[in-house]
Amino acid sequence: MKLWQKIFLYTLILVMLAVSMTSILLLKNSFSFSLDQKKQSVYNEHEFLITSFKSMMVTERLRSNAIVLEEKELKKYMESTFDKTGNNNGIMFCNGQSEQIYANKDMKLPSGLLEAVKDTGKSYMQIQGYQLYTASSESMEGKTYYVVTESDITDVMEIHENMLWQIQVISMVCAIVIALILLVVVKTLLLPLKKINEGTRAIAQGSYQKRIQEKGHDELSELAHNMNRMAEAVETNVSALEHVAEDRKHFIDNLAHEMKTPLTSILGFSDLLQIKKEVTEENRIEYAGIIKAEASRMRTLSGKLMELITVGETNLDWQMEDMQRLFAEIGTSLGVITDKRKMYLICESEPGTLWVDRELFKSLLYNLVDNAVKASREGDKIQVMGRFEEDLFEIQVSDEGMGIPSEEIEKITQAFYMVDKVRGREKGGVGLGLALCKEIVSLHRGTMRFESRQGTGTKVFISMKGGEHA
Amino acid sequence: MIRILIVEDDANIAKLVEATVAIGGYEGVVCSNGAEAFEKIEHENYDLILLDVMLPDMSGFEIIQNRTNTSAPVIFITAKQELTDKVRGLRLGAEDYIVKPFEAMELLARIEVILRRVKRTENVYSYGNISVNVEEHTCKYDGEEVYLTPKEFEVLVFFIQHKDVAISRDRLLSAVWGFEYEGETRTIDIHIQQLRKKLNLRDKLVTIPKLGYRLESAKE
Repeated sequence: MKLWQKIFLYTLILVMLAVSMTSILLLKNSFSFSLDQKKQSVYNEHEFLITSFKSMMVTERLRSNAIVLEEKELKKYMESTFDKTGNNNGIMFCNGQSEQIYANKDMKLPSGLLEAVKDTGKSYMQIQGYQLYTASSESMEGKTYYVVTESDITDVMEIHENMLWQIQVISMVCAIVIALILLVVVKTLLLPLKKINEGTRAIAQGSYQKRIQEKGHDELSELAHNMNRMAEAVETNVSALEHVAEDRKHFIDNLAHEMKTPLTSILGFSDLLQIKKEVTEENRIEYAGIIKAEASRMRTLSGKLMELITVGETNLDWQMEDMQRLFAEIGTSLGVITDKRKMYLICESEPGTLWVDRELFKSLLYNLVDNAVKASREGDKIQVMGRFEEDLFEIQVSDEGMGIPSEEIEKITQAFYMVDKVRGREKGGVGLGLALCKEIVSLHRGTMRFESRQGTGTKVFISMKGGEHA
Repeated sequence: MIRILIVEDDANIAKLVEATVAIGGYEGVVCSNGAEAFEKIEHENYDLILLDVMLPDMSGFEIIQNRTNTSAPVIFITAKQELTDKVRGLRLGAEDYIVKPFEAMELLARIEVILRRVKRTENVYSYGNISVNVEEHTCKYDGEEVYLTPKEFEVLVFFIQHKDVAISRDRLLSAVWGFEYEGETRTIDIHIQQLRKKLNLRDKLVTIPKLGYRLESAKE
């Protein structure tokens, strides 16, 4: 059952119960009041009848000169007195043994009436059908007689029944009217709930950008408000998840593409070498060379990829490292590469210590210098400088190479992004170096920033926390 | 001679495709960027275009959409494997769609299917004193007709088309019997024996150990 139906039904039942209870009580009150009045008047009439009969009986006794009147004479007298009256009301006399002596019409007494009078000696009134019976015990002529009068109370009863019927009709009409009003009121009050319901259903079905209308200041508008906040939270989380999923898909797309290109060459050229009957010496060297170069590109790619994937997962070995010594060490090993290409490398730092993972820190500087070497020409200078600025350690890697176009700077840390794909591949790059650097820097809770001008060189600024100047 | 335009930005792959089409006896023209390729397609007539989808300046799809000279059939070559890309390529009117990495013989087989469809291949092949007419499905040895079963005939044509190339049994199976055929490679050996016997090819149709067979060139 729907909520509005429940509210409607329960309220209707309650209201109807209250209305009918009240009216029935009122009716009962007024009925018993009018019945009491009627009883009083009937009783008075009864008393009057008996008193006048008694006094008339005295006169009769005197007239007939008897000391007491016998039952038989009494009966005769009763007949002469009451038969003519034409009174609507019946009257009955019974002797002490409850035997009927006289009745002016056929009367059917309610059972137990005479017995009650006999037992207590008091007067009793009892209703049977539309008749009110009044009984009393009277002593007449030295004997006890019971007198019962029957009065018609149809008028009182009929009024009562009429009113009862009227109340039923009025209650029915009331019920219908109240039901209609209630229906409208409940529906109007619960209208916002319906809207909230529709809104949440839409949100649940995936339209997370949808919002519910918030009107008024009741609980329902509060509910709507909270629902909206929930939808907002869901929307933010979902879009974040979608973003992550999209990034991942993008990464995998790129990875697949980066792997397929060397694979195509390797597979194709080895196939050619296998199926051709005669391969010239020149072709053989060329094909095998391509296979070798592409395979080594795959090796670089898988190595870099492993590094990138495991950089955050492996147990890092955090140590306080002496920067001056570490920079000198890195300078020595990188110097071999720069010397071969006739470039000048300066790699030095101010004395002091920094909280780092030694291998990752080396990998960071290797990758940055590797990029600088790829961008530079013979005779260019590459500088790696470390210095302490309060509690920050700042690294600057600068070259005099070709530089990066300004519109590309934002994208260069994306995995597989290369400013010049053809040239990048020629130099053995796979486009993962800066993505790896970014990961390493963020693991060290540092920041990385690029400054570049095409033709004059690139500067990379890294700052890491936790440095201590010696 | 049949001329094939090869549009591919990766120099190694371009070289590979060129060497592959050379095996089939076609002339390959290499072109490494979209704009140049578009110019060539518009102004020169090629028998077939092998088009890379991802080019540095424009996509292969764009080139096909914008070209006005539609005489040459197109085969897309791409690293993308998604079905939507494939459907898009074929909708744009490409004849076929080949996904990297691919084998040399597979590329060649696809090229031949397309060329046969657009009727740019020859109908008559001759090899030594054997002559084959693909249209009539006849084979003559020293001018006398030799009866070959349909599969034997197709195997023979495949070998003549790829003289001096080692053909693996799997490759032959998928080329002649179709990709779905999962028969034993033994079937191939029986057909080869029949061909050798019927056409006196014992010395020419040689077995390459661990690989398959090769039809040596007819010239002594």
